Amino acid sequence: MNNLSQILQISQMGSFVKIGFLIIDIAFTLFLFVVIKQVYTMNTIVNDSNDSSLIKSGAFLLFIIAVSLFLTGLVIL
Amino acid sequence: MPDIFIAEPNNEEPPAPQKEKPVSEEKAKSKQTLLSDEDSPSIFKNPVRLFCSFKANPDGITFQSQEKDEKILLFLRRDFITNAKWILLGISLAILPLFLPFTQHLLGNLLPSLPVKFYIIFFVSYYLFVATYLYVNFITWYYNVALITDQRVIDVNFSTLVYKDVATTKLSLVQDVSYAQVGVVRTFFDYGNILIQTAGSLDNFTFESAPKPEEVVHIVEELIGKRYE
Repeated sequence: MNNLSQILQISQMGSFVKIGFLIIDIAFTLFLFVVIKQVYTMNTIVNDSNDSSLIKSGAFLLFIIAVSLFLTGLVIL
Repeated sequence: MPDIFIAEPNNEEPPAPQKEKPVSEEKAKSKQTLLSDEDSPSIFKNPVRLFCSFKANPDGITFQSQEKDEKILLFLRRDFITNAKWILLGISLAILPLFLPFTQHLLGNLLPSLPVKFYIIFFVSYYLFVATYLYVNFITWYYNVALITDQRVIDVNFSTLVYKDVATTKLSLVQDVSYAQVGVVRTFFDYGNILIQTAGSLDNFTFESAPKPEEVVHIVEELIGKRYE
């Protein structure tokens, strides 16, 4: 009985943590979207042909990781 | 007497109508010309490297309002040493979780009992935040640029991702240029603030923590001097 209540407590806490995590991750993904937009805007103002693609791909990589982390959290947590 | 002004009869045959080239051939040709164009990174003689903060006569840099015949003479960013603070903080944050097992022995089990998958997700998220912190700081430095062309001075300020300001003035409006290099660190790493004073009620330009300020001042002075020659 004691074990069962402990499991229930953990699962309840787990769902709270999951919702909290997903909200933070959505906010973070939106922030990264703003970062990508700003990188593109700044590239139109000053364009460095050598490294601009590297900078853009860095922003995209972070965005993709954030999105995949959100989806992973949604599925496995 | 023959009339010398009579034009000779044109015996040349009219040019045969040119056959239209197939689209794929044209595309291939345009691709070739693009590759051989100046934009191709392989032929840049003096490219601006990723962590470069001072470059005279840079190749591969363009800006929004650039004229066709306008040439960039000097490219400046804040000296790279000014990034030491956030780089060290980022490295510290990156190695911080490695000490977590040791603190658990000392302070007891502070973490709530959750399944392992939660901790894996938090671990990955933590490093994503650290990487984003480093990236945002880097692009803030990367896009804070000062350009001196043969026609004008351009100062691009970019900070906190939401603030950007592009200020431009013609070289003919520049009246004086000076620099200030205060402190041991600035003297040791040779960087300082450059002040470009403009005529009348126009705002002055300040390039903060610019590398080799003496050289920059010398270049700008030469450009202003040429005007009065």
